[in-house]
Amino acid sequence: MNPLSQKSRPDPILTKDFDEPRLQELETYRRLGGYEGLKKALASGREKLMAEIGKSNLRGLGGAGFATAMKWSTVPSEEKNPGPRFVVVNCDESEPGCFKDRVLVTKNPHQLIEGLLIAAYAIDARHAFIFIRGEYEVQYKILEKALAEAKAAGLLGACSIELMRGAGAYISGLDTALLETMEGKKAWPRQPPPFPTVAGLMGRPTVVNNVETLSMLPHIVENGGDWFAKLGTPKSGGTVLFSVSGHVEKPGVYEFPMGVPLREILAAAGGVKGGKKLKAVIPGGVSTPVLTADELDTVMDFEGPRAKGSFLGAGGVIVLDETTDMVMVAHNIERFLTHESCGQCTPCRQGSFWHERILARGLEGGGTAQDLATLERVGENITGKVICALGDTVGVVTRALMKKFPEDFKAKFHD
Amino acid sequence: MSAFTPEQVKVLEAWTKEYPYPVMGLIEALRQVQDWHRCVTDADEEYLAKLFSLPRTRIHEVATFFPAFTQRPTGRHRIGVCQGLSCSLAGAEHACRCLEKKLGVRAGETTPDGRFSFERMECLGACDQGPALIVNDELKGAATEELIEKLTEELR
Repeated sequence: MNPLSQKSRPDPILTKDFDEPRLQELETYRRLGGYEGLKKALASGREKLMAEIGKSNLRGLGGAGFATAMKWSTVPSEEKNPGPRFVVVNCDESEPGCFKDRVLVTKNPHQLIEGLLIAAYAIDARHAFIFIRGEYEVQYKILEKALAEAKAAGLLGACSIELMRGAGAYISGLDTALLETMEGKKAWPRQPPPFPTVAGLMGRPTVVNNVETLSMLPHIVENGGDWFAKLGTPKSGGTVLFSVSGHVEKPGVYEFPMGVPLREILAAAGGVKGGKKLKAVIPGGVSTPVLTADELDTVMDFEGPRAKGSFLGAGGVIVLDETTDMVMVAHNIERFLTHESCGQCTPCRQGSFWHERILARGLEGGGTAQDLATLERVGENITGKVICALGDTVGVVTRALMKKFPEDFKAKFHD
Repeated sequence: MSAFTPEQVKVLEAWTKEYPYPVMGLIEALRQVQDWHRCVTDADEEYLAKLFSLPRTRIHEVATFFPAFTQRPTGRHRIGVCQGLSCSLAGAEHACRCLEKKLGVRAGETTPDGRFSFERMECLGACDQGPALIVNDELKGAATEELIEKLTEELR
C-alpha cells in the first residue's frame, strides 16, 4: 500500500491526489480542481489574499517556520522601492533525512507552480524562479514539462517562471546562500539585515519560499485561511509532511496535521524495523537534536520539539533502533557539516573539523576522557558566533547525543 | 583558441541571455562545460570569464567551490553513493566497498578506461531508498549488489 495515501488519517492536503495516475499532467491536475485557487486569488485581489494567508497561520516548511504572510508583508511597496521583485522557490532540499520536496515535485508539479503563481501575485512579482538541486535531474525534467504545459495554457499570465539548477552544495539551500548561487557566486551566506525580502536577488526584493509552503497556497485560497488554521495547532496552521527514514519498516513521506504526536508518525511508518526496540528519533533532519524513545509523546508542530530542546526542522524523521551507536551518529552528522561548511566563518569551518576528527578517533578506538570535555568546549564556542544556521548547528547535535546517551560516549572515550 | 565547437559556443552564449541578469547563467554554463569536458579546465575558466565579463578569479572561485565541478576529468559515468545518516544505517559502507571492488578504484578515482568515476557523496535526498546511488545526477535507487552489477555492465 502506498504510504502516502492512507485514508485513515484526517485531511491530507498536499498528498490527497497522489494515487491519481498522470497527476503530473496539466489535464489531470485541472480535472481535479487544479488552478482554481489561482483563479480565485486573482479575482479576490491582493489585500484579501494576504489576509487569508495571514489567517491560515501558514509557516515556512523549509525548516525555519517563519510566518509566510509576515515574510511577504516585509516586501517594500512599489512606491517605496520601484523596480522588479522576485519569488524564488527553494527546491534545494539536501538535509539528510529530508526528501519530501522531491516527492512533492515528482508527484504533483502543478500544485507547486500554482502556489508559486499565487505568491508572485501576492507580492506583485513578474519574475519567478525555481531553484532545484542539480542531483534532482528527474524532477528538473518533470518541472520543465509542467512549466511548458502551464505556459502553453496561458496560466502564467504576466509572470515568467524560470528553472535554475544548483551544483551540489548543501549550503545553497539556505536562502541567502541560494541567492548568491543564483547570482553565479560561491554559496556564502549573507549576514542579514537586510533580509532578502528587502534586498535579495541582485539586490532586489525577493521572497524565498520552500516547495511545501508554496504547494499549500492553492488549498488555502480555495478553502479559506480559517479552515487551514483549524487543521493545525494555535500557532502552526494546516498539515505538514514528514519524511520518515532510518530503522523503520515503511520509509516514505507521511502527511499529518500539525501537532501530531511523534508516536503516530512512527506507527504510520510501520514501527521500528525488524521488531527491534527504539533507541531514539531525530525529529527534523540531522541538524535537529535527538529525542529519546521516552519522548515519543512530543507534539510535532513548530513549538513541540522546541520544548524538548529540538526543532521540527523540515520534518525529516530518522528512526534509530537499539543497535545504533550514537558516537557513529554524531560522527556521521559532524562529517556532513564539515564537508558542507562553506568556510566563511572560522568557528564553523574549524569547529566542524575538530568534531569530525575527535569523533573519528573515538570510533577508531583512540578516544580519551579529555576528548569529551574538548567536544563540549569547542561546541559551545560555535553557536551564535557564526553567520548562518549551518554553523549554529555544529556541535549542538553532538552535545545532545552526549547528554542523552552518555554510556555510548563513555564506551568510546575513556582513559 | 576556444576549446568549444561553434555549436557549443552558441549553447554557452544562450546561458548569458537566459535570465534577467547575464551573470545568473554562470552556474548553468559551468554545469554544461563540466558535462562536455568532464571537468572545468583553466582554458574553460578563461573562456567563461570573457563570455560573462567577469574576472577569471571569480570563475575559479565558483568552479572550485561546488562539488559538481572538478578540475580533473571524471569518468563518463559519475557514480555517487550517499553517505548521509539514513543511507549509512541502510548499508552505504558495504555498497561503497562493493563498488570499489567492482570498479577497482577508490572514492575520488576514475577507472583507467575513463568509463566510471566513483564518489562518496553527501545527502542525495533519497533517504527512503538508502543507500542511495546516483549516476550523473540521476537517482538510480538503493545501491544493492544487483544494481551495481547491472549498472557496471550496462553503462558504456
